[in-house]
Amino acid sequence: MTNNGFFGPKKTITLKVLRYKPGAIDPPRYDTFRVEANAVTTVLDALEEIKATQDSSLLYRHSCHPASCGTCGMRVNGREQLGCVARLLEQGSDVVVVEPLASAPLIADLVVDMTPFAERFAPAGMRLVRESEFNPEAETPVGVETFTRYEDCIECNICLSACPVANTNPAFIGPAGLAAAYRALVTGERSPAEVFAYVDHDDGVWRCHSAMECSAVCPSNVDPGHKIMALRRELVTYKVKRFFKRG
Amino acid sequence: MAVPIQHKSPAARAVQAWFNPLKRSAGFLAFVLMRITGIGLVVYLLIHMVVIGNLLRGPAGWDSLIQTMKSPWVLALDVVLIAGILIHMLNGLRVTIIGLGFGTQSHKGIFWTLMAVAVLLLAYSAWLVFTK
Amino acid sequence: MRSIEEKRRSGIWIWQAVTGVLLVILLSLHMIVHHFVVEGGLRTYEQVLAYIGNPLVVVIEIVFLIVVTFHAMLGVRAILFDLPLTERQKTLVTRALTAVGLVVGAWGIFLALWLFRMARMA
Ligand code: HEM
Ligand code: HEM
Ligand code: HEM
Ligand code: FES
Repeated sequence: MTNNGFFGPKKTITLKVLRYKPGAIDPPRYDTFRVEANAVTTVLDALEEIKATQDSSLLYRHSCHPASCGTCGMRVNGREQLGCVARLLEQGSDVVVVEPLASAPLIADLVVDMTPFAERFAPAGMRLVRESEFNPEAETPVGVETFTRYEDCIECNICLSACPVANTNPAFIGPAGLAAAYRALVTGERSPAEVFAYVDHDDGVWRCHSAMECSAVCPSNVDPGHKIMALRRELVTYKVKRFFKRG
Repeated sequence: MAVPIQHKSPAARAVQAWFNPLKRSAGFLAFVLMRITGIGLVVYLLIHMVVIGNLLRGPAGWDSLIQTMKSPWVLALDVVLIAGILIHMLNGLRVTIIGLGFGTQSHKGIFWTLMAVAVLLLAYSAWLVFTK
Repeated sequence: MRSIEEKRRSGIWIWQAVTGVLLVILLSLHMIVHHFVVEGGLRTYEQVLAYIGNPLVVVIEIVFLIVVTFHAMLGVRAILFDLPLTERQKTLVTRALTAVGLVVGAWGIFLALWLFRMARMA
């Protein structure tokens, strides 16, 4: 403990950060860094300080800082969080382990490949571009029909990292994609036939075992687990109705 | 040991991702229990099907077997089996209900309530197993 | 982009749930009958025969056998399908589990009918 500043006393925290660079830091290892933290120091603050003053080769992703871009998802002490709002002193230990998200290919250090994750949205009926509210004349990029999105989801990939099934089966659509599909169904953006064609198979909505960990870690209250279950109810209702109509 | 889960073999990944409820919440614990008890019950079922084959050998074959099964150690295993059945059965009902989109917001409460029921039923069954 | 049209439709989880709900009744009955009813807990040979000699009981036991085997094989399939399997491996898993299920089912039905006959002859 050092000085008593405006944001409370400072404390030295040890960060154990997973390091991996193909060909250079390979096999992966944990590097240990020490930082001074007060009540408002976030994990991302600590990483930025380490990069600035201790090891400029440390790689991590971030953009906005206030939990709105979904870029800085990582596992802190074994639990998925946004580094930019996860406070260091609230992690419950003086040694804080920082690791990349699971269920996505590892590129280097804390950086994972977000491509497989991002590819789950368009077929689910969700485009990644925000609706242009103030500028109706804005031109849409090539290949994009309209600017719409699933408001609350910040596409951080945290839900897939926490999902026990997504960790072992990369073909599983996963929480975010299934939640987006449910959204497209209830808003009528996609027809039931289209949505069910996307989710009604062994790597789709049926793969979920209701662990609900996606909802537990979601930083944006999307509650994807609830949406998967609701989607399944719609699909079961549809199947039962079709069965009795035919019979 | 710094092997990121992405670099592990599918089997090692499964062990880590399916059976470790540390740092996770109630629904994940339910998932882990469901998986362990499910596998346990399948193994039991297969062994059981072989064991009841002894009935083909008539009273001589079966009744001596039953006598060994009444030893306290085997009865203790029976209690483990009953625990597995109760946990799996009650959790199965929970998965069915929330898996159809009902009560998803209160799934944790449902889980702990059902597990409390499981403990009570287990205590009663264990008492029956050892006294009857 | 993943091609979604090729994925085979499924709904097997519904069967897992339906058989599960049936098992609540069937398995509870089985456990109570074989463990808690007769004096001394577990049934002797005579007591097993006395129970299974009832035609209704044989039918219930056989239904239980079929339902529990189906549920168990679906459960193993559900676990294996959480692994990164190719479409070919998935087909193999389904076939292998179907085979195991049929063997278990055939053996169980033979046993139940054999016990029923013994009981009737006694
Ligand atoms: C008084 C001066 C300025 C103010 C108040 C200002 C304000 C802002 C604000 C509020 C944003 C955020 C928009 C968002 O969140 O999407 C923004 C974005 C940005 N600003 Fe500025 N800005 C100023 C000057 C500049 C200058 C001088 C430059 C470059 C020469 C610049 C380049 C940018 C860029 C590249 C972005 C990102 C645009 C995007 O998100 O698409 N700004 N600015
Ligand atoms: C007693 C009543 C039972 C009920 C209500 C029940 C219900 C269920 C349900 C709903 C599931 C699906 C879980 C999911 O979606 O992830 C399930 C899975 C499973 N069940 Fe049962 N079950 C019962 C008995 C049994 C028995 C007797 C066996 C074995 C012989 C068994 C073996 C399994 C297996 C292996 C799984 C897969 C577990 C997993 O996915 O992790 N169940 N059960
Ligand atoms: C310790 C508890 C148990 C005892 C003492 C017991 C005892 C027996 C006995 C004596 C039989 C043969 C007579 C009959 O067919 O009714 C039998 C059959 C059977 N048991 Fe159990 N059992 C127990 C638990 C279980 C469990 C947990 C399962 C499911 C996972 C199960 C599944 C079966 C099946 C499917 C049959 C029917 C086989 C057939 O009739 O061909 N049993 N059990
Ligand atoms: S940096 Fe944007 S969410 Fe954390």
